[in-house]
Amino acid sequence: MSGLSVRLFGAAVFAIAALYTLQSQTYQITFGDVLGPSVFPLIVGIPMMILSASLVIFPTGEVEWPGKDRLWRQAVALAAFVGYTMVMEELGFPIATAILIAVVGIVMGGAPWRAIALGAVFGPGLWALFDQVLGLPLDFLGTLFG
Amino acid sequence: MEVLSLIGNGFLVALTPLNIGLLLMGCFVGTLLGALPGLGPVNGVAVLIPLTFAFGFDPTSSLILLCAVYFGCMYGGRISSILLNIPGDEPAIMTTLDGYPMAVQGQAANALAISGVASFVGATIAVIGLSLFAPVLARAAIHFGPADYFALYILAFATIGGIAGVDPRKTLLSAAIGLMLATVGIDPISGVPRYTMDNFHLYDGIQPIIALVGLFAISEILLLLEKSAKDRPKAIKVDRWMPQWSAIWPTRWAMLRGSGVGFVAGVLPGAGASLGSFMAYVFEKQKSNGKGTFGKGDPRGVAAPEAGNNAAAGGALIPMLSLGVPGSGTTAVLLAMLISLNVQPGPLLFERQPDLVWGLVASLYLANIALLVLNLPMIGIFTRLMMTPTWALMPVVAAITFVGVYGISNSIFDLELMVFFGVLGYIMRKLDISLVPLVLGLLLGGDMERNLRRAMSISDGDWSILIASPISISLYVLTIGFLALSVWLAVRDHKQSKAERLTEG
Repeated sequence: MSGLSVRLFGAAVFAIAALYTLQSQTYQITFGDVLGPSVFPLIVGIPMMILSASLVIFPTGEVEWPGKDRLWRQAVALAAFVGYTMVMEELGFPIATAILIAVVGIVMGGAPWRAIALGAVFGPGLWALFDQVLGLPLDFLGTLFG
Repeated sequence: MEVLSLIGNGFLVALTPLNIGLLLMGCFVGTLLGALPGLGPVNGVAVLIPLTFAFGFDPTSSLILLCAVYFGCMYGGRISSILLNIPGDEPAIMTTLDGYPMAVQGQAANALAISGVASFVGATIAVIGLSLFAPVLARAAIHFGPADYFALYILAFATIGGIAGVDPRKTLLSAAIGLMLATVGIDPISGVPRYTMDNFHLYDGIQPIIALVGLFAISEILLLLEKSAKDRPKAIKVDRWMPQWSAIWPTRWAMLRGSGVGFVAGVLPGAGASLGSFMAYVFEKQKSNGKGTFGKGDPRGVAAPEAGNNAAAGGALIPMLSLGVPGSGTTAVLLAMLISLNVQPGPLLFERQPDLVWGLVASLYLANIALLVLNLPMIGIFTRLMMTPTWALMPVVAAITFVGVYGISNSIFDLELMVFFGVLGYIMRKLDISLVPLVLGLLLGGDMERNLRRAMSISDGDWSILIASPISISLYVLTIGFLALSVWLAVRDHKQSKAERLTEG
């Protein structure tokens, strides 16, 4: 079926817009401002529901999603990003960043040993640049190592 | 002559050691970012914003740095267009049409020099235009009341997608998503927390900077991972870098025409540099393609689009500074930085912070000279750096975005939010939904709501105040005209492609 991705996106946005519009009605104040905090979300939410519904019914554009060989690379990169946010404070900046650079470098098609070398240079290198030279405080060793 | 003394004061601001240093750094980094395929002006500026933030530069210095990067990208984009046949950034697409054929014919040095000089001419004309017209527009905009601003924002959202091709519903939906995100946080008027889901990180609202770094930079990495890194072509070997000056002079009219067309395209909302270079090329082709040499290495086909995209980039600063409504993606990103630094662009900016405005204008004059030097005698450096492989470049860029965003508030939540926006940006780009309206909605949503509520307070709840002034009425008429035009074009394109499919099948 053509336009399935656009339809799905439209449906998701429609659901969010509907919840958003409903929720706005709980923001009531009794005095002061004439319009109150609930009207602007209505002005945004209702056209949003109409627009997203129309994309569900009349989608435009074809989307080519990447094949499996590419999808796993994106998944690994995304996992590296999320993982980085989780372990950065525990491992400290240089180690976490070195791992991030190495993993992204490998999935981008760099030779593994080169990507690891790149991470080993730039992980501590960026720390030195930002923390030592530019004065932006970053933890050298994380909570894990005391 | 008032302008001259204002610019004179601007030079006093621009010529401090810090600002000169930032200017030169910005020009260098910008040219490099423009030349590297994959990193365009929006991404480049988005990555650098958190850093300027983290280092605590004042707004004027930050703006000088980022505008130098912005102008530098416009210069640099042509290098890879000419030598690799890959545009370094979106506005440089048109330069591949005649630039690459010129390089193939052994005229690479001339093509680079012509496009460098054309960039200088276009950008300089745009900065002169900025000095002259921005204050005039700002003075006119002083008369805008809250209802008029509301109408202006509506016009901005209707036009930001531009006229070209894309389904206007997607553009409007993107703007609506941005406006929706802008309402997250404590309502500044009534103090009611909205859509925070009881997460205290969201009480301050969603920082536009974090959203846009994710939307542009992180999604770019996900997008790059779809392509195979191996199939990059080799750059054309250049034996001699000295251009023949006799090759540049005949393109002078093409440069001037391209600058004029590009400048107008840049000032108009929703156009930006890509449309500027496109229109300049098409215009020049109609004008001087007598012998059918365009597309086969005609020097004028290099000069016009390059002058056009640089002029448009400068022109796009005018509505951003004087109305607070950006006309393109990169200026939207610059606006995000200014707002985050508590500088509200708009008509009052010219009165309250003349140092910032005129310091910037003076820096742009200087930046053009610096860029001309970087891009003519020192072009060899960039062609060598340009060959940095993507697998080595992008991981380091990713790491820098993470540091920059973390540096703003030392908050892991901000990093998670950035990754979330990266995924959202990737999905939207795959679905052909422009991200710029979303950023604009997130940036202007708060102001739009405030102006609406202020207008309604003035009228005590009477909605007719929204169409009570001639300014707002004419803005709504413009909006309706524009929407009608873009819907008509979209329907026409739809029918055409359907007809093509029928005839093919």
